[in-house]
Amino acid sequence: MGIDRTTELYESFKSKVEVLSGECFRVKTSNEAAELVCKVMKEKGIENVALLNSPISLKGKFEEQIGEAGITVYTDRFREVTPDAHAGITQVNYAIAELGTLVQAAADANVDDRLCSTLIPIHIALVSTSTMIPTLAETMAILHRLPRLPGFVGFITGPSRTSDIERVLTVGVHGPKQLIVVFVDEQVEEVA
Amino acid sequence: MADQNFKKKISDALGNEVLRGALGRFGDAYTIARAKAYEGYDFEAISEDIVRVKSFAASHLDEMLDQFEKEATARGAKVYRATTAEDAKRYVSELAKKHGVQRIIKSKSMVSEEILLNDNLIADGIDVQETDLGEWIVQLAGQHPSHMILPAIHMTKEEVADTFSGHLNRLEQPVIAELVKTARVELRKKFLEADMGISGANMAIAETGTLIMLTNEGNGRLTTTLPPLHVFLVGIEKLVPKFEDATHILQALPRSATGQQITSYVSMVTGPTPAYYADGTVKDKEFHIVLIDNGRRKMYDDEKFKKTFQCIRCASCLNVCPAFQLLGGHVYGHIYTGGIGTILTNFVNSDKDAKNPQNLCLQCGKCTEVCPGKLDIPQMILELRNRMGEKDGIGAAPKFALDVVSNRRLFHSMLRIASLAQLPFSKGQPVIRHLPMFLSGLTEKKSLPTVAKVPLRDVIKKVKQEVKNPKGKIALYAGCLIDFVYPKIGEGIIAGLNEKGYEVIFPDGQSCCGAPATYMGDRKNARKCAIMNIEALEAEKVDYVVSGCPTCTHALIDSFKELVHDDPALLARAEVLSSKSRDFSKLLFDLGGLTPGGDGVPMKVTYHDSCHLKRSMGVYAEPRKILKDTAGVQLIEMNESDRCCGFAGSYSIKFPEISGPILDRKMKNIEETGADFVVVDCPGCLMQIGGGLDKKNQRIKVIHTAELLLEKRKKAKKKGKS
Repeated sequence: MGIDRTTELYESFKSKVEVLSGECFRVKTSNEAAELVCKVMKEKGIENVALLNSPISLKGKFEEQIGEAGITVYTDRFREVTPDAHAGITQVNYAIAELGTLVQAAADANVDDRLCSTLIPIHIALVSTSTMIPTLAETMAILHRLPRLPGFVGFITGPSRTSDIERVLTVGVHGPKQLIVVFVDEQVEEVA
Repeated sequence: MADQNFKKKISDALGNEVLRGALGRFGDAYTIARAKAYEGYDFEAISEDIVRVKSFAASHLDEMLDQFEKEATARGAKVYRATTAEDAKRYVSELAKKHGVQRIIKSKSMVSEEILLNDNLIADGIDVQETDLGEWIVQLAGQHPSHMILPAIHMTKEEVADTFSGHLNRLEQPVIAELVKTARVELRKKFLEADMGISGANMAIAETGTLIMLTNEGNGRLTTTLPPLHVFLVGIEKLVPKFEDATHILQALPRSATGQQITSYVSMVTGPTPAYYADGTVKDKEFHIVLIDNGRRKMYDDEKFKKTFQCIRCASCLNVCPAFQLLGGHVYGHIYTGGIGTILTNFVNSDKDAKNPQNLCLQCGKCTEVCPGKLDIPQMILELRNRMGEKDGIGAAPKFALDVVSNRRLFHSMLRIASLAQLPFSKGQPVIRHLPMFLSGLTEKKSLPTVAKVPLRDVIKKVKQEVKNPKGKIALYAGCLIDFVYPKIGEGIIAGLNEKGYEVIFPDGQSCCGAPATYMGDRKNARKCAIMNIEALEAEKVDYVVSGCPTCTHALIDSFKELVHDDPALLARAEVLSSKSRDFSKLLFDLGGLTPGGDGVPMKVTYHDSCHLKRSMGVYAEPRKILKDTAGVQLIEMNESDRCCGFAGSYSIKFPEISGPILDRKMKNIEETGADFVVVDCPGCLMQIGGGLDKKNQRIKVIHTAELLLEKRKKAKKKGKS
């Protein structure tokens, strides 16, 4: 993908997710991503976070950097910690530019991936910029071509929301109240 | 006819200002949001794709079910096919017992509401929690959802706060953000404790055995993620052949349902996924899929209702329905509401249960414009109505009226007598409160026009037709209202077509088009009318058959063919008639329109689209062009010009309490234009809107396009001569 095309898709994604009250950033390296995530968490007053390690978080030494920032990091026992953790960090497999949508499609349908992105009030999603897909239709085709369709494929578009009372939009119901998406340009090894 | 208990429910719904307010706000906002969500997308193309994939699944249902079961089973799911609601409930109950389940969390499943699953589970001593906020609210309030997508749309925040306060034994404030927070906290405990999850699905992919669900709140994700035992309840209509076919439905469902480009979450589940068990270990969950028939197959095996398989349950038909917007869902009496709900109720419950709600359809066709599955819901409702009419009769008073209508001599002589008999009542005014004779019992609350002194069939004999260079002959089909109430419209039609070089004849044997019988479910009398008119009009002998009433034109073009389809000789004649029949505006336009002209006197008009003209015949640009070509006419478009005026034939007589508010909205839209005239192409709309203006705003007049042309051009001619 050319630089202009990537930027175009990123801008599309960003504008879509921001309309839905999501936050969106783009950095060059995993290391910068860790710095950014620490800064954002500090600003939001986050004291502890459930970190599901992934290629980007490992490359960017997230655990170390977040710890140094004075924030408690949980990297296991997710069933116990996620109900009360202040935030969760996971890496997603794809992003759909057309809709501002993140795609979770881990081959092993890892349950912790869903706990760390659903039970917590703030979800920080890491995405490799190179996994950006222009449209929904192409995304469905890519998923279909995988050697085996993952047991769980989850699309996430903005924080959770409801309009069930008097049609008034309220952000944050059973899922996260805030969604922060961080695109990382640096190529890191694919999510296993 | 609707029974008294049903009438009471309607009046309660109409009297519920909360409901009216919420539905009204949603209806207005929905139209805008939907349009915005489809910006840059080709709705027509998406719909065609949906129809293609869903109709394929419908006609290969057994293959689809077998393939789905095979694929899901290969991935480790246990698939059970439930023929009846009882089968499904028993399966889930036994499963819960076997696993010693104590707490169940559910994310939205309409089919579980359909089979009343909760009652069984609760009776088994299990704690069952709905987790979709709207569903939870109605569950706590001891009610049922009133809308497929927005279950608690009928409740205010105050009512929700009261409900929560009662449930939690503490005072909840009616602040929406706080109420949502309460729901999060309370239900979070339930999610974490639950030992079984139950959810519905929006799609079941045969090719991969995948279930797809769309949610916004995140409850769907938690329900399918947390408990180590899960059951998906899936109606067999959710089947989609290929994985990538889901794209079309993902494109349409959120846009059509709530005006969103996509829901916050889309979850695709293929076979069991790992879950935490009570002992802290992680392994694949126990995963069940119940495919439910419960009357659906009967519906898909029925040629007239097969297309219901193409419904993706977006509820957009409810959102645009003028009757639903006023009444909400509870009036319909069962879990599925609105027009589509009435059809589903007929099959998953019983035809008896659909009998009252089917009356609520105005036959305006607005839903057909927005349906991503291209369902003709009004046509299907009409089919139900006809079947019910054939089975149970339509009631003595309407039966008598329709028997009269289908007997031309009797009907016409009664109308002639009426024109004399009404004089003492009409007091010389153009509008009276009672149409005498047989209709009087049905028309007490309506302001109806008088029957003309001389019907069109007699007027026409005295009309001088000046046709230079005759090109051909056109038969005029008047229909009851133009013949006996508004003959002036007929004169306008004749003048317009004469100018185009056609002689207009009036076949005397013609009578009522049968629409009143058709729309009241009396197919027998409708057929009589069809035959009478096919024989009288002798379409073979003329170039065109013209009508100034779109409901009549619709009968000439479509209904007659269906009504005589079993008689080849008549059908052949009906086909000739169908091919030659045109509505006046359409015919005049097809013949090249009139040379621009008119008296040039300024006339501010607005145009109301009749439901049948716009949606059955696709005619809306033609009359506007004719108006714009008339010197002096200034056309100001009204808001919602194609929204039903509430007449809908006998509907305004059966349900004046619903027809009235629909008319009020039309009045408001008309008044806001500042026009002096409302132009219509349908004598039914003319009567309805005329009655409304007569009561509310006598400054504005209503006029048929043909009559307007007659007035403006005759005057111009006179002026030209002087």
